[in-house]
Amino acid sequence: MSDFLLEFVEITQTIGDGLFFGTTYALIGIGFSLIFGAMRKLNMTYAAASLAGAYVGLAAFTFVNAPAPVVFLISAFASGLVGGVVYITCFRFIPINNHLAALMASIGALFFIDEIVVHTTDGSPLTFPAMFDDVMFELGPYGIRGDLLFVFAVCIAGTVGLLYVLYRSRLGLATRAVSQQDVAAQLCGIDVHRTNAVTFMLAGLLGGIAGAMTAASVGVLSPLITVPLTVKGLIVSVIGGLGSIPGAIVAGLLVGGLENVFLYFRGVNERDMYVLLLLFVFLVFRPNGIFGSAIERD
Amino acid sequence: MLELRGLSKHFGGVKALDGLDLTVNEGDIFGLIGPNGSGKSTTINLICGVYGVTAGTVHFQGDLMNGKPPHQRLRAGIARTFQNIRLFPNLTVWQNLWVAQNSPRDVSAQGFMPRWFGATRRTREEIAGLLELADLGHKSDELASNLAFGEQRRLEFARAAAARPRLLLLDEPAAGMSRAEIDDLSLRIRRVRDSGVTILLVEHVMELVMGVTEQIVVLNFGHKIAFGTPGEVQRNKDVQAAYLGTSSSESQPLDGSV
Repeated sequence: MSDFLLEFVEITQTIGDGLFFGTTYALIGIGFSLIFGAMRKLNMTYAAASLAGAYVGLAAFTFVNAPAPVVFLISAFASGLVGGVVYITCFRFIPINNHLAALMASIGALFFIDEIVVHTTDGSPLTFPAMFDDVMFELGPYGIRGDLLFVFAVCIAGTVGLLYVLYRSRLGLATRAVSQQDVAAQLCGIDVHRTNAVTFMLAGLLGGIAGAMTAASVGVLSPLITVPLTVKGLIVSVIGGLGSIPGAIVAGLLVGGLENVFLYFRGVNERDMYVLLLLFVFLVFRPNGIFGSAIERD
Repeated sequence: MLELRGLSKHFGGVKALDGLDLTVNEGDIFGLIGPNGSGKSTTINLICGVYGVTAGTVHFQGDLMNGKPPHQRLRAGIARTFQNIRLFPNLTVWQNLWVAQNSPRDVSAQGFMPRWFGATRRTREEIAGLLELADLGHKSDELASNLAFGEQRRLEFARAAAARPRLLLLDEPAAGMSRAEIDDLSLRIRRVRDSGVTILLVEHVMELVMGVTEQIVVLNFGHKIAFGTPGEVQRNKDVQAAYLGTSSSESQPLDGSV
């Protein structure tokens, strides 16, 4: 094979891996967008809550040696629960139009959750179980890591499940009704507080999946992941268009793919710099994001 | 069925509504009129729970409604439409009705899993009936935001009816409507009343109020200034003064022929 062809294979392989891993970013971005769409508020705790869920799952792994699928499930549900608690503590009782107070409260909760994790684990990284990490699929010149493929499949399933709930169920309909016209929704008999709480829990569930999948593909769980994951989630939801779920999916894959391109050409030290540059470019030239007009409110 | 006693709402120093007493009986089509800023919309917002009262009580079917949030009042049987249309713009016509129709029983109440996905046949039939009544059957998959103005008004009316209320509050439903549309609306209002729904109509458009209501309360500056049948109210000197300024000597009839 010529050098050129070899390099082409390497680049496409890198991009492919990035796209696979990008689905976790997409999930985090969807979570931000879901809550922003429902309440017009940013929930900064989101990534921290996702990792907290993963830690609960990890506890099950460490103490009762639960198998990996069970660990993932526990992670998802624990994170959903944390989402519900965050709603009650940081959003439920703050007046609907006081955006700054809710933002600050959720930043406070972000550090609080982070500190709990640091104190219970002494801040050291812990091994997280993965699935199919010893499997490698050969596809012509390409190799596909089994664990990454699994992460990809789980994240896609999570996304499809969410879209199904959101667009096909009454619960999803109520969520969308509240986000489009909250006053009218109340006067159609929808309990806005309960619907918002469910939205937070749904988002938390997705976050827990993303958190567990991130940890599974890296192999370790560390409180150091919190901040990068928060930043990536925010970048993805801004690039996709705040409040837009299709936007978050596309942007998640875009960031995941490009991240690996930057990694390939410029190395791990400069990678995040270019990702932030990408955010900058979007903020300057397309501040409403890819699906900017998708914000649903009159 | 609806009893307001000493109902007051103050916004800072502004007394939007000041000590309103009002009784609406089951089966009435009750009119609430008055010049701009007289407290009509405030009254509706107090009844359905969008605002909390400053003083006074709202009783509905004998139950005290004070302090109950809007969704609970809807489940008790009070539905409304809005002066400025408030549909769910990015839901389809059909979904707009589905949300309203099912919410009291399914969406956020009990029935957690069983009927989450898809609508039951009975639900579909009910929605089909509502679409038929609103002449929107052919638009059921259209997004609400793509409807024409008149169609949006009809959809909002149908959405309020979808909750199967006992009392329907209509907040200026005829605003911006043509003569023909107003006649059509009167017909719809009567039809809903005949199906057993009590109606409280807040309206500026005199053709509609005088044609369809049986009793009218007139508000001005947050006070009740007159009460009676449409004929009595039209002849009332205070009412004429309120609508036409202080001098009622060269008064015009309040029959909408202005």
